[in-house]
Amino acid sequence: MNIVSRLVASLAIAAMVVGACTAAPEGSKGPVKLVVLTHWGDQALLAVLQPIFDEYQKQNPNVKIEHQSVAFDDLLKRITTGRIGGSAPDIYHFYNLWMPDFVSSDLLQTPPGDVIADIKKGYSQSSVDGSSYRNQVWGYPTEVNTYQLIYNKKLLQEAGSTKPPATWDELRSVATKATKKGADGKITQAGFLLLKGWDSGVVHPWSSLLWSNNGDYVAKDNSKVRFNEKPGVETTQFEVDLIKSGAADLGFTMDDFAAGKVAMTIMANWWGAALKKALPDNVGVAPIPTNGGAQSSTLQYNWLWGVDKGTKQGQEAWKFLTWLNGPQAGSSSPMGKYLTTALNAIPARVSDQQANASLLGDAFVKPFVDSLKTSRSEPIIPGAQEIKTVLQKQIEAAWFGQKSPKDALDTAATEANRILGEKR
Amino acid sequence: MSIAIPSVARVANGAAPRRRPYGRRALAGYGFITPAIVFLIGFALLPFLFTVYVSLHDWNMLTAVTSMPFRGLDNYRYLIFEDPLFRQTFANTFVFAAGNVAISSLLALGVALLLNGEVRFPTFWRAVYFLPYVTSSVAISIVWANLYHPSYGLFNGILELFQLPGARFLASLETAMPSVIAVAVWHAVGYYMIIFLAGLQSIPLEVYEAAKVDGANAWHRFRSITLPLLRPTLLFVAVVNTLGSLQVFDLAFVLTNGGPVNATNTVVLYMYQTAFNFTRMGRASAMAVMLFLVILVITLVQLRLLREKE
Repeated sequence: MNIVSRLVASLAIAAMVVGACTAAPEGSKGPVKLVVLTHWGDQALLAVLQPIFDEYQKQNPNVKIEHQSVAFDDLLKRITTGRIGGSAPDIYHFYNLWMPDFVSSDLLQTPPGDVIADIKKGYSQSSVDGSSYRNQVWGYPTEVNTYQLIYNKKLLQEAGSTKPPATWDELRSVATKATKKGADGKITQAGFLLLKGWDSGVVHPWSSLLWSNNGDYVAKDNSKVRFNEKPGVETTQFEVDLIKSGAADLGFTMDDFAAGKVAMTIMANWWGAALKKALPDNVGVAPIPTNGGAQSSTLQYNWLWGVDKGTKQGQEAWKFLTWLNGPQAGSSSPMGKYLTTALNAIPARVSDQQANASLLGDAFVKPFVDSLKTSRSEPIIPGAQEIKTVLQKQIEAAWFGQKSPKDALDTAATEANRILGEKR
Repeated sequence: MSIAIPSVARVANGAAPRRRPYGRRALAGYGFITPAIVFLIGFALLPFLFTVYVSLHDWNMLTAVTSMPFRGLDNYRYLIFEDPLFRQTFANTFVFAAGNVAISSLLALGVALLLNGEVRFPTFWRAVYFLPYVTSSVAISIVWANLYHPSYGLFNGILELFQLPGARFLASLETAMPSVIAVAVWHAVGYYMIIFLAGLQSIPLEVYEAAKVDGANAWHRFRSITLPLLRPTLLFVAVVNTLGSLQVFDLAFVLTNGGPVNATNTVVLYMYQTAFNFTRMGRASAMAVMLFLVILVITLVQLRLLREKE
């Protein structure tokens, strides 16, 4: 065999190998590979998730699911770099705050009509809202998170409180009583924990307090932010007062709450599994305390499954997602089962909430499920992530005494309105 | 025995000039440097040119490169005139660089002088000081974050032992930046110590002996011999340390994520947040170009100042 013949033979073999590895085009009955990107890489989570993927592959032998996972902090980067590098996954599991950017960049495929009908019928309105942008549903809602007042039962009892605070005044009073200082004046036990340095950790509890003070984050037509109005200033002043009185110490972290050194904080349901291990039978959950006679409300954020617009496997991708999120023989959907058993999260599908009622009736989880009735979706507005970070920095500036609450929120509002104008 | 005939003589004798050996040598030379040139073009020059190009556009990395809208110098104008946070991160970066370069260089020189003298187990001590440098900066940041922890951190534990009030270190506006600088210094001292040690050991002993004969004491010998002869090493340390400090990212990212209230936010960290959290790659690229120009100017000034007496 001469060199030319060898070369031709090698190219032929290479072409066959490449052909075998390449996914079949849409509509073909050949093997289909679906690349699914999530931020669920923990071994304990994969132990529940992978068998679900395996089951679908067993039922659909022509489909191969390749699950890629990255840490939450890297998820958006993976999506953007995958897009640039031409290695975009077929299916994403993403945070609904990113939807405006994804939609305006033509990243997402519009779900088929039957999927949209299924979502509108099977999910609560707040979850449909949380998966919609510009009057269009963009994917299957999955996990729902809300915020509630989480408290250490023992520390509240020691502070002489028989029930969790329902109003801001009660919270201020209980937090002050539950605060302990050492001989050197250093706070050894904090009455209330305010998280810093993390946009969601600062803004989500703050927004929950804002809405429980009859405030608004953004105008109904999304034309401008409203968080710098009187209720927002009062909310920030309330937090600043807690810091000034020593009831909230900015040096404390979530670890301190888990170590039993903090009496109360406002946090989401995903923290439950860790808290149950750290403080067994000692953690209580209550609605967000209110001010000025307002109804208790809380922030809700969603995650959803979306399909990349550039995928060649759109039909198979939606078929897989319909199966994954659909009730199985009258019971929970595979996704609902995964969310409740592995992730300790609240599933967005109403039938999943009913099918997993025993798990969701748990003393820690139930108040979060109940709060869905009055919760409000995190505003899905253009530049939402950037606006949230701007607000976080300005709230922290007020906490650290660099600015008055009014000045801090006005600065944040000016910047937020500029971002809204740019990205609209 | 053959005698080499100069080429001029050969031309004079009517023979054609022989360029082949030179051409072959040149070709071999080009061959040797080709991988480095290709590497530089592919991984430095082209990305830099692309960064400059992107800095003139608005791009969120989700749309095609070919469809990004042209913005001219808008990104630069915004950063310079309308973004106070960009100015703050530049100021933070300079504070960090000044503190880190001054303290780590002085400490490294001091340790190098000690280890260059007569100490027992010099290899052991060199290894001890060098160890932090070979440890991942992310790993040491996590360890130091725990050491600094206000409630259960080692440092506050020690202060408590001596009945001193505890500090908040990374959680306080006043102490956050010094705390980050302290970690950077601890991380870098070993590396610059080795560089200084190499510089010290290249100074001929005869010069010191001659100075001793002339009655120069230790301080005079350090000032008149060590420092002048160490000038190239000082130049190297100053330039490399400044370059690294102005591009600090990992320590600020892991230890504080730029907080509290941007007190430790640096240009590169802000660039990263702008690019990957806010998907504003055009603006982040403009930051990168501006930081490059600033570093270029500072490096040229340093080279000029430290070389002028050579």
